[in-house]
Amino acid sequence: MSGLTRRGRARAQLGILLGPVSLFLSIFLAGPLIIMMIYSFLAPGLYGGVEWTFYPHNFGRILGFADPEFEIYDPVYISIFFRSLRIAVTTVLITLLICYPAAFQISRLSDRWKAFALFLITLPFFASLIVRLFIWILILKKTGFINTALESLGWIDHPLEMIYTDGAVILGMVYIFIPFMFLPVYASVEKLDWTLVRASQDLGANGFQTFWRVIFPLTLPGVAGGSIIVFIPALGNFVVPAVLGGAKSLMLGNLIEQQFLAARNWPFGAALSMLVMAIVLILLFIYIHHETRRDDDAPAAG
Amino acid sequence: MRLARILGSSGLTFYTLIFFAFIYVPIGLIVIYSFNADPVNMMRWSGFTFDWYKQIFGLKNAASEAALYIESTDQLLAAVRTSLIVAASTTMVATVLGTAAALAVYRFSFFGKRFYRVLLFVPMLMPDIVLGIALLIFFVGVGISLGIGTIIIGQCTFLISYVFIVVSARLAGMDRTLENASADLGADEWTTFRKIILPQVMPGVVGGAMLAFIISMDDLVITYFVSGTSTQTLPIFIFGMLRRGIKPEVNAIAVMMLLFSFTIAAAGLYLHRRKR
Repeated sequence: MSGLTRRGRARAQLGILLGPVSLFLSIFLAGPLIIMMIYSFLAPGLYGGVEWTFYPHNFGRILGFADPEFEIYDPVYISIFFRSLRIAVTTVLITLLICYPAAFQISRLSDRWKAFALFLITLPFFASLIVRLFIWILILKKTGFINTALESLGWIDHPLEMIYTDGAVILGMVYIFIPFMFLPVYASVEKLDWTLVRASQDLGANGFQTFWRVIFPLTLPGVAGGSIIVFIPALGNFVVPAVLGGAKSLMLGNLIEQQFLAARNWPFGAALSMLVMAIVLILLFIYIHHETRRDDDAPAAG
Repeated sequence: MRLARILGSSGLTFYTLIFFAFIYVPIGLIVIYSFNADPVNMMRWSGFTFDWYKQIFGLKNAASEAALYIESTDQLLAAVRTSLIVAASTTMVATVLGTAAALAVYRFSFFGKRFYRVLLFVPMLMPDIVLGIALLIFFVGVGISLGIGTIIIGQCTFLISYVFIVVSARLAGMDRTLENASADLGADEWTTFRKIILPQVMPGVVGGAMLAFIISMDDLVITYFVSGTSTQTLPIFIFGMLRRGIKPEVNAIAVMMLLFSFTIAAAGLYLHRRKR
């Protein structure tokens, strides 16, 4: 050790600290992602294998240039893609509508109650996801809590069809993603400068104007952050539609799962998840770009 | 004006109550109905029973006499055991690697440091299904047989990130002057690390480890893809039950799981608050 220079020793320490984690992540994170990328351009072989030839038609099956030898283009995949997009966006909007007013109310509580409220909101995040979804089966199914209650009250004759619908999928996702949306939104609501709100009111703005031109823009970073954090797991979700959705509520996640565990067309499954990853990366890129620009602007504005 | 404000604020208070009701009433319902005696329709109350809890702990009761549910108890216990083994292993690996990475990024300046910070966020933001199938393709392609080992590796890829972020947050709030003082007083680097840095960073490490443990116990998607056919963790077991059709003892299992994770999370959050 004594022979080493100070610089050399620092380098050795850095190597010990960072070496194992770099090795681990390059083998088990970067490696698999690169292999998946390659797979998405390979031809599906018989019985679930792959053939090592360049084959762009995995993406073609989705986007409109299917392999002319074997099939004619079927828009079913692109329509599943748009369905997933629609369900994910709806989930984001509903979660936001639920969390936004609650964040305002909770930010104005006394410190003690505030801490307790935040505790109550964070707690479900740690509870098993599958259990929280299972609860909604019991509530929504034909012989579930709501139907049983409404029938015993005599309000309905036939059980309502609630489970195995798009609505149930959205409800399930909203329920599990509330903490994801609430915390970022709350962080920006908490920082909101109320003197600006008062100034706006003094200058004669009505409630809507104050909200739309002062409050909302100031809380936008939290809204955007929360929306992205909810959108990402919602888009490729396969657990919620598998548990609460019906055969008709297929989402991208279920389609990907089918390719791997049932249809055994791995390259096509890889192509589908490349699509999910691409959308997520584009969104993140836009978000980070805006955030850094906001940071750059801040000193000049203040 | 004043009246409107009072009405507005009480309206909001009412709203907040509904907000919390939406989160907690379903949880309350499942706890109540886990004591429901009705074996066919779980949501029609027909008397109080502990049967389902006895059932999951392997005790005899009317239902197990009828030999309807026996097979699942052994599977359940095996799934719990697998989950605990996986969670303990991943927590250990992810805590060591994540903490090391956080220390490296905190103490040293090196080429590619910014890159590392971003890189360590990637697994958290990656949709879990993408990571899950990438790992599946990788393991099958390389020829590693799926099982408990691949589950541990798969979970570590994203748990490292969680530990890294929790420990980094702790390090960022640390007092650097103490480190300098220790060096000025003649302590060598190792002593400074052991006596100054380690005690300060420890709460972050413990917090990161607890978070990793809870998330590992709960992970469904990545585990689902890399677990193979013969290994089941607890969430996978329940997921399978839900897809096949629900039996009343799932209620009791669910309540036990809620109790377990709420206890750990509440303890963790409490410790976290007290430390600050």
